[in-house]
Order: sequence, then structure tokens, then C-alpha cells
Amino acid sequence: MNPGLKLFLVVILALEVSFTQSLIVNLVLIGVSLLYLLLHRMSPKQFLGLIFWPLFPALGLFVSQWLYGDAGIHFAFVLFTRIYAYVFLGATFTITTNITDLSLTLEQDFKLPSKFAYGVLAAFNLMPKIISEVKTIKTAALMRGEVLHFWTPTLYFKAILASIQWSQNLAEAMTSHGFVENQERTHYQVIRITAMDWLLFGGGLIIVNLMFVFIHY
Amino acid sequence: MADVSVTNFSFKYNQANTNTLEDENLTFQTNHFSLLSGPSGSGKTTLLKFIAGLYPKFVEGNATGSIQFDGKDITSIPASDRNQLVAMMFQNPDQQFAMNTVKAEMTFVLENIQTDPAKMDDIIDNALKFVGISDLKNREINTLSGGQKQRLALASIIAMDSEVIVLDEPFASIDYDTRVDLIARLKQLQTEHGKTIILSDHDLSNYKEVIDDFFYLDPATRHIAKLNNTQKNAFFQRFEQTKIKETVVAEPSASDPKIINFADFNLKPHGDSLLQLNGFNFYRGKTTLVTGENGIGKSTLFDAMTRLTKYQGTISYAKKNIAKIKPLKYAQNVSLLFQDAESQFLNITVKEELDLSLKNRFTTNYSEDNINQMLGELHLDNRMDQVVYSLSEGQKKKLQILEMLIMNPPVLLLDEPLKGLDYDSLRTIVGYLKDAKIRFNQTQIIISHQFSGIIDLIDYHVDFAAHNLTYQEVLK
Repeated sequence: MNPGLKLFLVVILALEVSFTQSLIVNLVLIGVSLLYLLLHRMSPKQFLGLIFWPLFPALGLFVSQWLYGDAGIHFAFVLFTRIYAYVFLGATFTITTNITDLSLTLEQDFKLPSKFAYGVLAAFNLMPKIISEVKTIKTAALMRGEVLHFWTPTLYFKAILASIQWSQNLAEAMTSHGFVENQERTHYQVIRITAMDWLLFGGGLIIVNLMFVFIHY
Repeated sequence: MADVSVTNFSFKYNQANTNTLEDENLTFQTNHFSLLSGPSGSGKTTLLKFIAGLYPKFVEGNATGSIQFDGKDITSIPASDRNQLVAMMFQNPDQQFAMNTVKAEMTFVLENIQTDPAKMDDIIDNALKFVGISDLKNREINTLSGGQKQRLALASIIAMDSEVIVLDEPFASIDYDTRVDLIARLKQLQTEHGKTIILSDHDLSNYKEVIDDFFYLDPATRHIAKLNNTQKNAFFQRFEQTKIKETVVAEPSASDPKIINFADFNLKPHGDSLLQLNGFNFYRGKTTLVTGENGIGKSTLFDAMTRLTKYQGTISYAKKNIAKIKPLKYAQNVSLLFQDAESQFLNITVKEELDLSLKNRFTTNYSEDNINQMLGELHLDNRMDQVVYSLSEGQKKKLQILEMLIMNPPVLLLDEPLKGLDYDSLRTIVGYLKDAKIRFNQTQIIISHQFSGIIDLIDYHVDFAAHNLTYQEVLK
């Protein structure tokens, strides 16, 4: 499915889940997402991660609603499954979509200015460098006798300083590689939104909304 | 075809007190291979970025005069036309690419200049073949070595097919073989494809037979002059001489106390092994100089020794595996003077920086009088309230070294500590380092390209070559 439409579908469904209280629809969403992920060959490690990490907030919500809330056990289950619905819906996007494809479609089909499409992509590709920079900052601080934790402002000050420097260099590099703001570009890989994409998007949206209308448990 | 003429060109950075470039008048001739040399930090990058049309857009400062391509001012040429005229390659291999893979970056470039998609595959294949990295086409850029990244940067520029190719210290962090190969490729671009090459480098190796014109930026006058043949030859000769000057240093003796040991050590950050060691030692209370070609892995070795990068095998400090020492404790024992001074800074002003070192130092070996005297000798005493990031590169380096001296760790690793220092400051610093070694038995391990002016500090010399470290008696 087109990555841009997939993103919108996931965001809309996640919003709807937030404002409805149907346990069954939540379970259906989780089930369908899981099926989709399995079809896309999610690794066992990713699967375990998706089950394990949300368990703490989900259980927390469940227990506090069950013991201290006044909406009953049904609502506690809704909250519990809601967390998993978010996570699995999100995963159908993040695990199966390539960030490059997303920015290509946002630029070509959704008319996002190429400056943003490629700026975001470039920033995304900087991630490994940012991680190693944070490590360097922490080590440098240790050598000055200071322990920087993730809540220490100095860490952010230094990281932001480095990012500003990089963004400047990146802008120069993109310019030097021929990138000109607001100028026409050709496209090696053309990404179109097909009729099938629209069908999946519209169909998915309608079916889930019909479920919300008719299924209240 | 385009002559690049610089006329009455001056430039001053906003924070600076003086002009970086002072009334420059010169012409880079069309279809020539021009070399621009001068010490690092002298303003070569600034001029090249103006020629490439990146400045004034990306800089804050005041430029006067003009830079013209065959009579047309570069600032008046629309950006899209400028791409056909000039393209630039940078010094830092890590910050030239917007995309994640080699192929994606090449397509990005071609899309920008509106190449017909049907022709892209051929252009990409040819450009990658020309620079010798056809087999890397589908690789992630993050997994490439520095040399491979610079080859990709050149391939991007070849794909753009601009008339003038500007390169700013393109070989500063890559290995010797890549350097020789890429210089040959550039020559080929000039002779077979009619390109104009403008390249800056402070290292003159391998250029003598290749270049047509030699420009020198004199740091004292901030003036660029085109040298005649006699001057040019004199420069190359002087450069060769400084290279072959040999000095004899001792080799470690069996009685030297060992401090850092490598066992079954293998360093391979990009998949290819950079260094394999078994039973190698650094010695306590000595200054060891590590030399080796650019890009061979010297800084990566320091990264391993400070646990910034992963390695296989064991590094021990005072007979303890460093992986088992607590991070803070280890960092206080084995500290690194980073190549980039700003990496060392945690605070805003010079005074705050010094106060931090004073607060956290492990010994009080340096008295307040000592420190004040050093501040005076380094001419930092009247800059106590200045923001560290606004200091000049030389001042940053001096402050950085001073604050690490105050910390006074038992082992100090120094990565290119002399970069950007003038000779007087260099001698002062060398004096402090000798002092720290003699008074506090500090172990110092230094990576440095240049060693004129520091020979009297060096006890041992280690050569980094062929994936190995070896102690050598000759320093050259």
C-alpha cells in the first residue's frame, strides 16, 4: 500500500480508537494488524518487543481502572487493548515502511515541498551519528569529572549545538549536490497512488467505522 | 569553459576582528589543475565556498569585491545554472550526503539537476566505475569507510558534470592509496573531460607532477599569490625536506613499566580490520608518538581506548580489563584530548570552563599561581568572560589543553593536539606537557601529523602501518 496513505489511515484509526470504547473493535484491529505484520515477515524479536514493552503501561492502566475506576472491568479491558491497538497499528506502518518511500510519496503525491521531504530524510539518516555524538559528549564529560544523565541540560545543549552545525553542513552539501529549493526535479522512482491504494484506504476506513457504529461491547 | 577570476575580494566573518581574506586578486584558469595551499585555518575553505556559490548564502559576514565565471558574477547566476558551472566537494566525508544508500544519493543528485530518469542508470554506473566503487552501489552510506565516502562524493560531482570542480582538503582524512588514486582521477577529468580543477590542500604530497598552477595563501598577510616556477619548486623542495628529516629516538626497554596492554585485539568498525594486536604495550610515564597515514585508523584506535567504539579482544589498563572498570573511574584515569576542541567543552565561558576543571580535578598538583601564570603565557587571561565557542581555533585548542592539564589524568591521549597552534604557543604547550610528565609521571600518547617542534617531548615512536603498531627508532 502507498506509504503516505498507509500513514494517514493509521493515524485516523488511532485517533478513532482514542474516542471509542469498543473492546471487540480493538481486538479486531490488533488481530488484523498482527496478520498484516506476519504477512510482511516480522521477525520474532520484533513480535516479542511489541508484546512486551506495552505490557507495563497497559497493565498499569488496566489495574488502576479495575481497582480504582468507576467505569467497571469492561472499560479496564478497553484501556488495556487500546494500548495494544495503538502499538500494533503503529507497527503496521513503522515495520513495513521504508522512510525513503514515504518521503518520495509525500513529495510526489502529497505535494510536500521537497525541502521538507529531503530535510526530514537527511535528518533521519543522521540518526546513527547523533547516537554516537551523544556517547562522545557523555564520555567527554566523564573525563572532566561530570556524569551526564539523559535529564541533564548540558547533554541537550551540546547535542543541539552539534545538530546546528550538522544542519548547516548538510544544507551546504545538498546545495552543492544540485538541490535548489522550489525547483522542479525529475524522479527516478515514480510513486503513484493507485486505485488499489484508494480502495484499501477507503475500504479500511469504512469497515472500521461501520464496526464502531454497530459494535458497542 | 570558464575562467574563475577573483577581483578585489575581501571577507570578514561577523565575530572576527580582522579580514579573513584581504583584497585578493587572482584567476583560476579554465581547464587548469590549480592547487591552493596554506596552513589550516588560513581561509582557504572560505574562498572556495564563495567560488562554489555556497557563500554568502550560508555565512554571516561581510564580503566585498567580486568572483566571476567568464565575466559573470557568481552571485548573479541563478542556482540552477550554477550547478552546471561549479560543484564542490568537502573535507568531512561524513557530512556530504542527504540519502541513505550510494545509489539513492546518486539519483538524488541527478534528480536535482533534472536529468531524464531513463538516462540515470548509465550515468550512475559510469560515475561509480570511474571512481572505482561500482561494487558499492547498493551499500548504506553509513557503512562506508572515509575513503569510500570521498570516492562517492567525487562520483556525485562527476554525475553533475559541472565545468569547474572545487575540492576543499578532500584527502584530509583518507588513506594514502585512495589519495594517489583520486588525484590521478582528477587529472583525468581535467585532461580527458576538459574540467577545471581547483583544489586546496596543506599537504603537498603527490601534486608536483600533476598541477598547472600553485597558489599560496600566506597566513601573515592573508594574501593569495600565484607562484612562479622557481617559487613553486622551492615550496615542493622545502616540503620534501621537512618530510625526510630523520630523528633517532629510543625503543622501549624491558624494564619499562607497562600501563596499557592489548591482547587478541581486533578493530574493525566497518567490517574491514584496521588493526590487529597481540601483546602490544604502551609504557608508563613516557610520551609515545603514534604516526601513520591519513585514514589508517589512528583516531579509531583512541576511540577504542576510550571505549567510544567497539572492538574485539582485550585492552587492559594497569592489568585490569578496561571493559570491567567503571566508566567514570576509567575516564578519570585515561582521558582523551579530542581532536575537535569543542568536544571537550561543557560550559559557556572560559572562566566557567576552568572552574569546572578546578572543581572536578583529582589532584591539586597545579596551584592557583601555576594556573594563572599559564593563562597569562597562553594569552587567555584577558578572555575569562568570553564565550568559548567564539574563541579562535588556536585559542580553543590552548584552553582545551590547559583544562585537561588541570584535570591531570594519569594517562592522557592527545589526538592532533597541535592543529591550529602557532609556533610560540606550540612550544609553550610542549613545555607544559614535559612538565606534567616529569613532575607527575603522566603517560602521554600523541597522534600527530607534524612533529617539528615537539621532538624533545617524544620518548618513543610507534608506526601504525599494515594493520599493526610497531616501535621504531627512526622518526621521519
